[in-house]
Amino acid sequence: MGFSFDYLFQGFSIALTWQNLFWAAVGCFIGTLVGVLPGIGPVSGIAILLPLTAVLPPTSAIIMMASIYYGAMYGGSTTAIVVNIPGEASSVPTAIEGYELAKQGRAGPALAIAAIASFVAGTLSVIALTFFAPTLAQFAVVFGPPEYFALMFMGLSLVISLSGRALLKGIISMALGLTAGLIGQDPLTGAERLTFGSVTLTVGVDFIAIIVGLFAISEVMINVEQRLTSISKMEVKSWMPTWTDIKQCTGAMLRSSTVGFLLGLLPGCAPSVTSFVAYDVEKRFSKHPELFSHGAMDGLAATEASNNATSTAGFVPLFSFGLPTAPSMAVLLGGLMMYGLQPGPMLFVTNPDFVWAVIASMYIGNVMLLVLNLPLIGLWVRIVRIPFYILGPLIVFCALVGTYSVRFQTFDIWIMLLFGVIGYFMRKLGFPIAPMVLASVLAQMLETSLGQSLLISWGSPWIFFTRPISAVFMALAFLSIGRGVWAQIKAKAPEVVTDDAEY
Amino acid sequence: MKTQRVADIVVGCGIALFGILIIYASTLITSGTPHKLPPQTFPMVVGILLLLCGSGLALKSWTIRGVDFAIPWPDGEGVRTLFVVIASIACYIILLNRLGLPIASFLYITFSIWYLKRSKWLLAIVISLITAAISYFLFIRLLALSFPAGPFLE
Repeated sequence: MGFSFDYLFQGFSIALTWQNLFWAAVGCFIGTLVGVLPGIGPVSGIAILLPLTAVLPPTSAIIMMASIYYGAMYGGSTTAIVVNIPGEASSVPTAIEGYELAKQGRAGPALAIAAIASFVAGTLSVIALTFFAPTLAQFAVVFGPPEYFALMFMGLSLVISLSGRALLKGIISMALGLTAGLIGQDPLTGAERLTFGSVTLTVGVDFIAIIVGLFAISEVMINVEQRLTSISKMEVKSWMPTWTDIKQCTGAMLRSSTVGFLLGLLPGCAPSVTSFVAYDVEKRFSKHPELFSHGAMDGLAATEASNNATSTAGFVPLFSFGLPTAPSMAVLLGGLMMYGLQPGPMLFVTNPDFVWAVIASMYIGNVMLLVLNLPLIGLWVRIVRIPFYILGPLIVFCALVGTYSVRFQTFDIWIMLLFGVIGYFMRKLGFPIAPMVLASVLAQMLETSLGQSLLISWGSPWIFFTRPISAVFMALAFLSIGRGVWAQIKAKAPEVVTDDAEY
Repeated sequence: MKTQRVADIVVGCGIALFGILIIYASTLITSGTPHKLPPQTFPMVVGILLLLCGSGLALKSWTIRGVDFAIPWPDGEGVRTLFVVIASIACYIILLNRLGLPIASFLYITFSIWYLKRSKWLLAIVISLITAAISYFLFIRLLALSFPAGPFLE
């Protein structure tokens, strides 16, 4: 099934129903709120709120989740500009330029340019997503279990790029995630595994509890330990940018949208990488490179545009192949699976209404974000001042409610707490968290497709190398692993998570 | 475990031991119906991976000397605060089924805000009351989710 305007219009007709518009608006608002609040990144925010959407129909829920995601990506710029706290690595250049502008009394226009850049990049990227994703999915409809296994194997090999320089730690993190995903019943034979005689463990460990624990609870623990308080006293009176600002930033927005989107299609190329690339590219193109690091509006626009373009580009491999290219995408993949939807090539065939409604909602969501955020800049700046002693307990409340509402089992919230503590130590000891999330989400699918493939081939593993598509994926996976292992051997340095690895 | 190197050696050994435990646990899995991919295969592979990577991490860290980093562990007060935060979440989970979501949330949030900022006890009570009311009216009454309402609100 390729691109067709009929499908897109059908998607708009679903996305424009008042329920979906309402949930998209709620998602944009909550997402921006989550992004604005210091101490909660987009991944943690989505992880906390994901189970709470369980009461909605799947399409409304995913529309809301997607809105939360790009809302959070935008919201992060507020803390970066106003209080010089980049919520995630991708906002570092925003903080560098934005905070300098804020000190010059231009926080309002900086926030407005960030919103406009996010809107431009978001919209251009959704247009590209509309054409790219179904084309890729069309190519992938010939997928059988061996191709799926090879694809997921390649997905797991992403731990190489998600781990930065800490390759061994990344693989350990992945193996621990797989272990958690294997607890319970074997999907093919129903045999009990790794339950150690516990009846409770027979039902398995829910990956939502793992995700919420690793991101939200450990985040609270880190912030409590650092005695984080709100620190902004800044007032923003006017937010209207000048025409000079807009003219100066137009080229930057367009260039960085392209850079961000194209790089965002590559597995492992997270916004944290692309925003720095776009910032650097813009510095070379700028007529005033000397202003960079001293309050360059075009530098700020470039970072925010690439950030949003990369976030949207991540939906292309997610929808077309079911491949999450970043931790936030892994959490969204978990969300899709929670609703019984299997992202991948067949998603466009089996659930066209759903997928086109979500894509259409992204166009609407981008407009909503702009309309919502420009007038509310003053409100967001005030929210930055909420002290952590109030925020922390409320995050725990949301995390507990969210985790419990998936299966209504107290066991799940104990698992959430356990993985919160594990996540805290992983951060302290320099273990990347993303591979564990990816593995816990993919574990069962990986094993099922492997089992089915071996059934087809009468037990021969060569099936993965004799079918062209799976052979290509396996080759790419082994190349990725080989490259990472070679880099490790050459580096002879301690295992340290680098800035380009998310968590 | 004050430095990264020592921590990596200790954690690597721990992971290797955990891998051995998983390998042992996978030998206890009963196969049931015959299958091309027996249920013990995957856990066994993961166990071996943990054993190899854990040992590899410990060995690698042991052999690399010179470059090292101090791990930013919390000070005494930080450890105490963390312990109280974890214990209070554990109590929250225990109380959830006994007192219900609204009352357990009220107690947890009141205590947590008070503990993190002693002078703000009145604010703590107001925020907790609002949260408890939201949890009751939104999650239990309006959305009819199966949260325990507690003995007083059933």
